[in-house]
Amino acid sequence: MNAHRAHSPQTRPVFCTIVPPHLLDQLSRHSDDVFSLPARRTLERDATQRTRRQIATVRHGLLAAAPATPDVDPADRKPQRTISDAEGKEQLPGKTVREEGEEPVQDASVNRAYAGLGATFELYLSVYDRYSIDGAGLPLDATVHYGEKYGNAFWDGERMVFGDGDGEVFRDFTLPVDVIGHELTHGVTQYSANLEYLGQSGALNESVSDVFGSLIKQHSLGQSAQEADWLIGSGLFTDQVEGEALRSMKAPGTAYDDDVLGKDPQPATMEDYVNTGADNGGVHINSGIPNHAFYKLAVDLGGNAWERAGQIWYDTLTGGSLQPDTDFAAFAAATTEAAKSRYGDGSDEHEAVRKCWSEVGVTAD
Amino acid sequence: MRITVLRTGGFGGLSRRATLETTDRPDAEELARLADQAVREGLAAAPMGVPDGFHYEVSIETGTSSATAHFADPKLTEAQSALVRKVLKEGA
Repeated sequence: MNAHRAHSPQTRPVFCTIVPPHLLDQLSRHSDDVFSLPARRTLERDATQRTRRQIATVRHGLLAAAPATPDVDPADRKPQRTISDAEGKEQLPGKTVREEGEEPVQDASVNRAYAGLGATFELYLSVYDRYSIDGAGLPLDATVHYGEKYGNAFWDGERMVFGDGDGEVFRDFTLPVDVIGHELTHGVTQYSANLEYLGQSGALNESVSDVFGSLIKQHSLGQSAQEADWLIGSGLFTDQVEGEALRSMKAPGTAYDDDVLGKDPQPATMEDYVNTGADNGGVHINSGIPNHAFYKLAVDLGGNAWERAGQIWYDTLTGGSLQPDTDFAAFAAATTEAAKSRYGDGSDEHEAVRKCWSEVGVTAD
Repeated sequence: MRITVLRTGGFGGLSRRATLETTDRPDAEELARLADQAVREGLAAAPMGVPDGFHYEVSIETGTSSATAHFADPKLTEAQSALVRKVLKEGA
């Protein structure tokens, strides 16, 4: 598959100014500021609406909410990993460089991706009895060295893709295991609740990836909720950046404060919810709120976060009660219901879930 | 011609903007051709994109006209990819 394509029929020429000139003007004057400028909010809400209309026409069919039950002996449930190398190009998948069961290679990025995929597979299987990201043994594919000094990692719907980082802000995206867990969890979400990547459901999609990304790191390190750093992307910034990570679930809004990047814009509670049209409606910003709710729950319950807190979130994600456009309030209600079903009405877990949402200002539907 | 690239989204949700003024550059014609093509191959509104993928908004302005287009990783054409790289690297 070639990520580049020739001028295809689906693209449309745009020679008028589609975005209102005043918005462009506004954006251009405030581009270096953090995302939440109040003056941009109204304009950007319009942009979100426009995006929503666009998306309504291109969204593909929903996948089944419940994972398939694979007819595989539990002892035979093993990952099937394939790591490819894009060799600095923006073409997927690239050249296959390490397949399941093969010995480590010289390239550390390849080995880190391979190990991270394994750690993610292991958490889902051993803790939640989920056989790969689709629940049915889907092979796990990843591409490393995507693009030239490419400072990002993403999930393209089929595989995880990692850049080497630009060397100025970001280092290699295969470095933090929570980033690998985050990307693969986008796959789990795609095959379960399929939360629409826009607005609050998009922020929930992001948050679920941060939650399980962090749990994969905690599980690998054997850390309890108290011991964990609850950071996302720790080790990703170069030494030139003033910041410890991209996001903090423990203290959203405090992960970085840098001359070039600005300050971490994440809110911890609904009071500071950010209305923006950028970033699909601030999916990487408002995810701070459900992230913080999960952190509160995990610390309140104590012990290993992947056990009870993680189980409640996993049950919610895969239980079939979430709609693709689920908002924070509906998600809060669904987690409360999941805690009640698994641990009992009025149980400590049930009460703790109610409390964690109330502490971040989300009222369950 | 003024070419502006606004990149949003990505794993970090960080925005980056850069503008390149092509006037007086030896590669002005080539850049203009690349920018026209990148915009022609773009979309009128921001597409949904993929989880953690970058979104790009490219605007070109000349004395008499302006145009804007959107596209998102990983579905960039050769021209879009080359333009974005150039402007983010050499623009201010």
